[in-house]
Amino acid sequence: MQLYELGVREIAEGIREKKFSALEVFDECLHRTLACEGKMSALITTTADAGRAHARRVDEQIAKGGALGLLAGVPVILKDNICTHGIRTTAGSRILGRWAPPYSATVWELLSSAGAVLLGKSNMDEFAMGNTCGTSAFGPTANPWDVSRVPGGSSGGSAASVAAGYVPFALGSDTGGSIRQPASYCGIYGLKPTYGLVSRYGLIAYGSSLDQIGPFARSVEDMDLLMHVLARHDPKDSTSVDKSEIDFTRREKSRQPEKPLKGKRVALVKEFRDFTLDPPIADAMKRLIRIFEETGADIVEVSLPTVARYAVACYYAIAASEAHTNLARFDGVRYGYTVTTASDLKDMFEEVRSKGFGAEVKSRIIAGTCLTEPVRSEEYYVAATRVRTLIAEEFRKAFENVDCILQPVTPSLPAKIGEADEDAMKGYESDLYTLPVNMAGLPGFSFCTGYSQSGLPVGLQLVGPRWSDKNLLDMGFELEKILGTPKIAQRGN
Amino acid sequence: MGREVWLMKLGNDDVRAIAAEARLSLTDGELAGAVRYINNFLDMVDRFKELDLKNVEPFCFAETNECPLREDLPAVFARSDEILADRADSTGSFFRVPRIMEE
Repeated sequence: MQLYELGVREIAEGIREKKFSALEVFDECLHRTLACEGKMSALITTTADAGRAHARRVDEQIAKGGALGLLAGVPVILKDNICTHGIRTTAGSRILGRWAPPYSATVWELLSSAGAVLLGKSNMDEFAMGNTCGTSAFGPTANPWDVSRVPGGSSGGSAASVAAGYVPFALGSDTGGSIRQPASYCGIYGLKPTYGLVSRYGLIAYGSSLDQIGPFARSVEDMDLLMHVLARHDPKDSTSVDKSEIDFTRREKSRQPEKPLKGKRVALVKEFRDFTLDPPIADAMKRLIRIFEETGADIVEVSLPTVARYAVACYYAIAASEAHTNLARFDGVRYGYTVTTASDLKDMFEEVRSKGFGAEVKSRIIAGTCLTEPVRSEEYYVAATRVRTLIAEEFRKAFENVDCILQPVTPSLPAKIGEADEDAMKGYESDLYTLPVNMAGLPGFSFCTGYSQSGLPVGLQLVGPRWSDKNLLDMGFELEKILGTPKIAQRGN
Repeated sequence: MGREVWLMKLGNDDVRAIAAEARLSLTDGELAGAVRYINNFLDMVDRFKELDLKNVEPFCFAETNECPLREDLPAVFARSDEILADRADSTGSFFRVPRIMEE
């Protein structure tokens, strides 16, 4: 087995036990990365020198016998909207230029304190607006299972790099499915944690009431370990909630090992029943229902009529409105791309923003500006926030009697690169399975069920009530035993 | 085509004005795309009108009260030189900007 094929826990243990050094791991991951990048373009920035220096420091610490963090020497890739002190952070946009943040996101502080070593910053849809990685100013990323196809988005670079074995884990952000959908397209695990569980300080904001940072990995045990490091209260994020009582490292032992999921109530959404799915995804749903039944879980039905009819419109109204506010800060004064020829401040703003933002971002800013104008705000934006209350309430009631919902992540397998829908609204409809989760601040766990006949991974997701992240991972752990551990994709090299 | 234009909520001038508020100028090609986008967007969100929202409160996370507030104390950012370093046109602890007041 090659070092790049190992998971987070195996690498951390191997380094601690001196089976191999942190530098050997980093160099092999870097070698794997360089072998794949020509076809995949999953990274915007590679931090080879800083990463090698950091890995050497871990090895020195080991030689001295010093205390080691849980992730000492484990290479990681961060989505490029997560601020890293002194390292270029672009959010996939031209407008940030070569900006290197003067501070780090809390999640990066937590990971680096635990000893993780940065290998690079990953490609993403510009400002996380997109579901293909195709709106990035740095060009598209390819899916490592079929390089003619998209890896999903917006955290497509993070998902593709974990799937191809660049690193054993990565971080992404999920505003409407941006962790779960690329995890599904790339055949790995991705968790969108409960809103408030993982700090967003230092995440370049898109929709602040929806954005959530979360991990990608190739085993559920690794996901546990990462959540143990990441789920910390952060005074710098006013939406961060102290949930230190959740212990991600402890797995409850099943009383009936042969039927570990016995008694779990797993729901299917009645209104999703008649929606069309690609055959491999429909087959995966049937298979998972059978697996749950065979392992003693109860399959029940919940009804989410408001979600099914209004969630897409509600989501885009809120996301665009928040985006237009959040992206007002990109004006060329303090950071990133700027111009020196403008005659006054207004001209400068207009020139910087018009040249710096891509088409999708501009469209959403204009939509958000339109919906929040005083003449339309009550009719659209405020109405959307009221519809959101109905959606959250519908989920809350549904979860009174069930442990989780089993549902698709997307209705279809990854499209060919460049085959995006001409009509943006149709593309938005395909997000129906992911974005309601963000509207209600719920956790969503995307997992690989297996592979289609054409060799593409097929994912599904479990959605739970708020703060049930650990329960979803526990169920995922049992499913991994049955479905198998996700494989490393070999078509990107 | 005529019917389509008639049904559209916002025309070219409206969208240009909204874009200007957001400090964006659009090329003719971008404008056509933006007009189509925003009108489709409004059609999508018009769905809300099917619902009676009179007695529904706007959404907020129930846990807002659970979020422990930190003390409201001013803190000095130790690396302000790094903030200014991204700009050639900064002086002292300020960014220089083009003229704001019109003559």
